[in-house]
Amino acid sequence: MDVAVVTGTHIGNVDGQLRARPAGPGRLYLCLNRGSEVFIVDERGPAVIHRRVPTETEEAALDAAALTTVAKLAERGLRAEIVSQRLNRRKIDVIPDPEWADPPKAKISELLAAVEGRLRSAGLDGLREVVLVAEEAARDAGLSDPKVTSDAKHVEIGLTDKADSARWVFAELWRRGIGPAQVLVAGDEFGPLGGLPGSDSLLLPPEAQRAVAVSVGREPTGVSPGVLALGGGPETFLALLRDQLERRRRGDLPEVDGDEAWTVFSRGFDPDLERVQSSLLTIADGVIGTSGSPVGSHPSARPRVLAAGLYDGEGSETELVSCPLWTRLDGELPHAMSFERQLDLHAGLLRQKLGRQPDLESILFSSLACPGTAVLRAKGVRALLESDEPLEAAEGTAVERGIVGGTTWARQRAGAGGLAVAAAERLEGDRLDRVATYVVDPTAVPDPEEALRRLEEAQEIGFDGLFAAHRRRWAERWETADIRIEGDDELQRLVRFALFHLMASAAETGEAAVGARGLTGPAYRGHVFWDGDVFVLPFLAATDPPAARAMLEYRIRRLDAARTAAAALGRDGARFPWESAGTGVDVTPSHAHDHAGGLVAIRTGELEEHIVADIAWAAGCYVDWSGDTAFATGPGRELFTETARYWASRIRLDPSGRAHIYGVIGPDEYHEAVDDNAFTNVMARWNLRRAAEAGCGAVPDAERKSWLELAAALVDGYDSETQLYEQFAGFNLLEPLVIADIAPHRPIAAELLLGRERTLGAQVLKQADVLMLHHLVPDEVAPGSLEPNLAHYEPRTAHGSSLSPAIHAALLARAGRLGRAVEALRLACRIDVDDLTGTTAGGVHLATMGGVWQALAFGFAGARASAGGLELDPRLPETWDALELRLAFHGYPVRIRIEQGALEIDADPAVPISVGGWLGRRFERRGEDWEEVRK
Amino acid sequence: MRKIIAALDNSLAARAVLATAGNLAQLFDAEVEALHVGEDGDKVARGAAAAAGLQLQRVAGPTVPALVDAAAADDVAALVVGTRRLPVGGRPVGTTALDVITSLLKPVAVVPPDAVRRSALQRVLVPLEGTTVTSLAPKGIIELARDADLGVVVLHVHDAATLPAFTDQPQHQARAWADEFMARYCPWGIGNVRVELRVGRPAKEILAAAEETDAHLIVLGWSQEIDWGRAPVVRELLERGRIPVLLVPVRLIPTGDERREESWNRSQSSLA
Repeated sequence: MDVAVVTGTHIGNVDGQLRARPAGPGRLYLCLNRGSEVFIVDERGPAVIHRRVPTETEEAALDAAALTTVAKLAERGLRAEIVSQRLNRRKIDVIPDPEWADPPKAKISELLAAVEGRLRSAGLDGLREVVLVAEEAARDAGLSDPKVTSDAKHVEIGLTDKADSARWVFAELWRRGIGPAQVLVAGDEFGPLGGLPGSDSLLLPPEAQRAVAVSVGREPTGVSPGVLALGGGPETFLALLRDQLERRRRGDLPEVDGDEAWTVFSRGFDPDLERVQSSLLTIADGVIGTSGSPVGSHPSARPRVLAAGLYDGEGSETELVSCPLWTRLDGELPHAMSFERQLDLHAGLLRQKLGRQPDLESILFSSLACPGTAVLRAKGVRALLESDEPLEAAEGTAVERGIVGGTTWARQRAGAGGLAVAAAERLEGDRLDRVATYVVDPTAVPDPEEALRRLEEAQEIGFDGLFAAHRRRWAERWETADIRIEGDDELQRLVRFALFHLMASAAETGEAAVGARGLTGPAYRGHVFWDGDVFVLPFLAATDPPAARAMLEYRIRRLDAARTAAAALGRDGARFPWESAGTGVDVTPSHAHDHAGGLVAIRTGELEEHIVADIAWAAGCYVDWSGDTAFATGPGRELFTETARYWASRIRLDPSGRAHIYGVIGPDEYHEAVDDNAFTNVMARWNLRRAAEAGCGAVPDAERKSWLELAAALVDGYDSETQLYEQFAGFNLLEPLVIADIAPHRPIAAELLLGRERTLGAQVLKQADVLMLHHLVPDEVAPGSLEPNLAHYEPRTAHGSSLSPAIHAALLARAGRLGRAVEALRLACRIDVDDLTGTTAGGVHLATMGGVWQALAFGFAGARASAGGLELDPRLPETWDALELRLAFHGYPVRIRIEQGALEIDADPAVPISVGGWLGRRFERRGEDWEEVRK
Repeated sequence: MRKIIAALDNSLAARAVLATAGNLAQLFDAEVEALHVGEDGDKVARGAAAAAGLQLQRVAGPTVPALVDAAAADDVAALVVGTRRLPVGGRPVGTTALDVITSLLKPVAVVPPDAVRRSALQRVLVPLEGTTVTSLAPKGIIELARDADLGVVVLHVHDAATLPAFTDQPQHQARAWADEFMARYCPWGIGNVRVELRVGRPAKEILAAAEETDAHLIVLGWSQEIDWGRAPVVRELLERGRIPVLLVPVRLIPTGDERREESWNRSQSSLA
């Protein structure tokens, strides 16, 4: 338990009385000097961690304000004295009589009556008027936001007050994952005093909403609404503290903050939607993901645990394995009982509540601080808490099991590796605590001893320690990744929901195989597509570089397989597979039944080669945002080089010297085996140029020169007359069909609406293809070509890929069509929550969520990173009050806040930032200063 | 022992009706009762019954009420009637068949006169439209077929109004979609049935799929409302099909059905 003492007095006074030297784990904060200082106290004593230091001007203003106040009161015939000059404030005694020199708290009513009488005899309207006089004097002295307070005997003019203390405390707790609903605010002076708000009412600023507030004071005029008046003074206060300690000793379930902007509620139970709900409510830590299924059993539930990168099976049948479950209790989910699940996005907690009593309540988390460690605490009816053992093998899987000293372990083989998991539980009275530790290794079968060792460590830390570390880690991640959309509460919730799953899906160490559904479900067999590299990775590169690096490590470790794939085709370099799993060998099926029942050839594995450049682009994106030179000159350079070599051997020159790439599939997968797909060619061009730049000094000059020549010779289908790119050679000759005009609605699966053959022969797109270039590599396309290509291709796009709406939101934002951009963004955000694909039961669409972030960061904020710095070009829709993003550029945190007519950037001066297009002007920052750049 | 009533008229359809009744009797572990209603001649019916080793039961009176009365008995599992009398010419559904299927609260198999007569059912096609109510109706039949080791093919047809918005990667999407479709609408069939998807006009696609999969019987849950504009799929299947269609009224599903009971407080999400 943490305690923050908020008082107006100074450290000598408070520490002298308390003499507390707590050893932890709870923290003691002393918030002193009316909001101007914060100390943290441990075994070594107090140490200042925050101090509001006044400027000389502020000091002079405070002096002037106090003198003026005393003088003005004197003019009214009231003698008042300045009694102290404390940090950031001046204290004026309005009743400097010996009999009221040091009144005890118990005499507050008498003191108030004496002061009021004294003031009225001077013709003043009580303390309220004195405060008004002081405020006016402070403003006249130059203080724009003076804090004037009174404890009846004194009036203080300051730069800070208790509200600053409260705000500091709530902000500090928030940074540690503790929401206001988990805070008890106790005071003795909430009610009004002398016509002024009670001083403790300042402890309840807007940030304290949902906190429990109690008064133990006498409160002669009552308390403000929302405050519970207990009375009883210090004894009640001590009883409150004892009660809080007792709750922890009993192991009560921690409160979960219910802030609607940070919470996903799922109330009730619907067998039809249960699997969708379970996917949406998945909790993951980058190593394992656990569905948000009920802890009790139900035939409609499909509880599952997936481990990152742990595949089994052969060829295209290779799939993520289902791992032993740690969440199951034996009791069946009873019918017709109230059931509620609550996912706290900020703290990464899943709470389940069954029955109104409740009969069973549980908290579950998969530790972001200690990935692979999963924790369950449940309280309730004993029969619902019991289980034969804490681990349950997934259906259809074979596991070895054992028990060591009462601890259960299991081992499961998968591919060349496997996992080991150990779990222990303790059932005492109405409380069950369970901890499970998973060790996942795709390359070797782990020893259960390792899982047991980690379990022992986790048990030593205990529930409280694991819980605190987990929610603190989640809070830290949010500090660098949150996005605020003010003025659109629905989008705000949906965006945070997307960011939550993005953050949970990639580990920060080793390699991160991020499949199409992350760790939230088994659909797409967990295969890794360009979804991860192009859609998910940018978010991580800009908010959590170690996780982006781990995603690239997954590709780097499979470079040999990619080299082998290229060699098998008689080519150089590395050819990454369209679908990848454990080994890096292509696992794309060759045939499949589609929605129309037909057995169709799947040619993406053979032809969708832009994946090669996509992975290089992802590496470039990571380098640009992180500034990781070790990567750029090490494995990153190798990745650029090998992918460039592939393109160099893939490209063909015609007799006129123009370069071509024949027979590919572009992102618009409706058209197969096309020549000179603009996206593929331009991405290959970018790849060659980036590799030539990155290979300077490491790759022979002649080879680099040949790459640049090839890049320059590559055709891209651009027509300078129309400013349009032709999607591929011959696209313009296809049936001129505008899907926006003929489809009953969009998005729609055009190949099902029109039939496969007609779709192949028509100018209809599944998703952005040419336009994807404007999104990914805007410097590689003709200036000014976004608008004409957007106007041409968007109406021809069916948006039959779940990747399409978010990317179009970004493009529409860049084009200034902000209303349409918001519509597209909202659609992208709703793809999973409304189960628009009918497959969210198999996991959420992680790439769509990455696209949502890109729409906001790249689209609306216009953020672009490069070696030269960070560029911004913000666009704010009329319907939003503000958009605020947190990013990391080259290791420096950056906060960008865009309001209607205002832009706020909070970043270290070392970050080179330029702002373009802001109110028609362009700015660059040089050191601390901003300069307007005129063309 | 339970009974399958084969309603035989004095037409060439009688033999097809009897064959289907025999097939259903095997499925339901029941015996066939051959029944003829009316004052007209029964020579063909009697001959067909005799050929099947059955004694023809005769009942006088108006045909439809008599059939409904007979089939309403507790020991009757299903009724089998002919779609129409003649296998040639136009293919309207006979009024007897229409009146019986809309008024009898029992599974009714409607057999076209030109249906191929099978010695035993091998494969059953179960079209599901993707609603809880209609998917519950064929549940019992699917379970019987599964227990009898018959092949069961569950079919869903996307029409213009229900086309998926997204197909993403078709090599995975259709399977993921079908997995969840089965979990919602046919959980009792998971692992035991084959799932087929089609796009087009439902009745047409159902008939095509029945042919492609060599289905011997189509099983369909329905609302028993066949007035103008209602149940167009059922009407077209009966008019155009050459495969017996077993119609299971959704009203057979008790209001306190187990799956509905499971759904309490109808799930609500703060993201919805």
